[in-house]
Amino acid sequence: MIATTESTLVREAWSTLATVDDPEYPGISIVDLGLVESVELVGGDVHVGLIPTFSGCPALAMIADDVRETVGSRVHGAVVVEWLRSPVWTIERVSDVARTAMAEEFTVAVQIGRTTPVCPRCGAPTEQQSMFGPNRCRSVHRCTGCNEAIEVMRS
Amino acid sequence: MTREWKDMTAFEAFLDDGGIVEVDDDMPREYREAVFAFIEMHANSELMGGLTERDWIPKTPGLRHKMSVLAKTQDEIGHGHLLYMVAADMGIKTRRDMLEDLFAGKSRFHNVFHYQAVTWGDQVAIAFLVDAAALASQQAVFKNCSYGPYRRILKRIIAEEGFHMRLGEDRMMRIAQGTDIQKRIFQDALGRWFWPALQLFGPDSKPDDVLLRWHIKSERNEVLRDKWVQKFVPMLQSYGFSVPAPDLRYDDDAGRWDVGPIDWEPLKRTLAQGGPDSARRIADARENWEKTAWVRKALDEAVPA
Repeated sequence: MIATTESTLVREAWSTLATVDDPEYPGISIVDLGLVESVELVGGDVHVGLIPTFSGCPALAMIADDVRETVGSRVHGAVVVEWLRSPVWTIERVSDVARTAMAEEFTVAVQIGRTTPVCPRCGAPTEQQSMFGPNRCRSVHRCTGCNEAIEVMRS
Repeated sequence: MTREWKDMTAFEAFLDDGGIVEVDDDMPREYREAVFAFIEMHANSELMGGLTERDWIPKTPGLRHKMSVLAKTQDEIGHGHLLYMVAADMGIKTRRDMLEDLFAGKSRFHNVFHYQAVTWGDQVAIAFLVDAAALASQQAVFKNCSYGPYRRILKRIIAEEGFHMRLGEDRMMRIAQGTDIQKRIFQDALGRWFWPALQLFGPDSKPDDVLLRWHIKSERNEVLRDKWVQKFVPMLQSYGFSVPAPDLRYDDDAGRWDVGPIDWEPLKRTLAQGGPDSARRIADARENWEKTAWVRKALDEAVPA
């Protein structure tokens, strides 16, 4: 069904965005990762304001393509994707749903501020091994309990 | 918690039952060695692949592709980092020993990193064909992998390799829609990369392959290789490229593509570090290791915050 009225259009866009997964985390949506800042109707077009985890993130073009394609299939009018310069993405924007999914599905922990991240497997504190892992938004830690190599998502 | 098994029969029954082995378990020596060798080769391949990607950062055309090469470089190095941690935990070799063996030309890494990427067309072919082959192999390992620490790392690696495949498709689509010269560059690159990509799967699995028996691999090499052929041969043709296999034919009865006999000699040479670009690549990696000795020294001597 194609949404028509203004409020249903915006609602439809949001619920559709919740089905757009991060290209590197299948099953975790860009809404839950805190990448979606705004959805507005401008002259019949849907403007989606996104914020990147890190500027220069290589997935930006792909995420924008996915948003245009997915939202575009559900609403009339053009879908305009804009990468916003503010606010800045911080790890606090990641929802509880995404935190749980990252821990359970990908053994990835989340670090808030300077707190010590805990192991998603056994709950013991972790120690940082290197500031960066396969991505700029993640560091590599070692669990002091079960010894697991863990990636930690952080701002 | 350390688990132990009274003999190999009991251990194999545990594996056949879907059991997952953890690092503290008292696993049979043969299993430990086989799994370690497999992870070490994977780690080496990530590192050698990452160094190759890195070489392409300045040469890559356009910001869009350059960002993707930057990302792939960081991904591969990061994957190597995680895999070396998991491999070292198995207690057979330290991380430093693994790296020094690699740079001394004593360790294996995947055949595709023993060839030179000459043009951007090669990079497109690698991202499109080789990454797909590597991803298919890794998915088949992940599916039923009996070694827990590797299985969990693989899940994240596969998610990221899936992203690389999309980057590869993006590169291929762009070059396929490009000028005649761009198309020719890609066609030439196919001539260099089609066979190495296909050989990445390896020769037919032996009936007594322990990696299959111990649930490291979940699928036979020839099955994975055939799936790749059935997918990529028609796809390349649909984009107007020819597949560089002189004996290629379509079997109407079976409804499948047959690439003809496969020469395994090039693969064997790469496994002995005797591929066309092996010596240069290993020397490059070693030089990189030596040049960064001061960083490791500084880190070793740093006082923790």
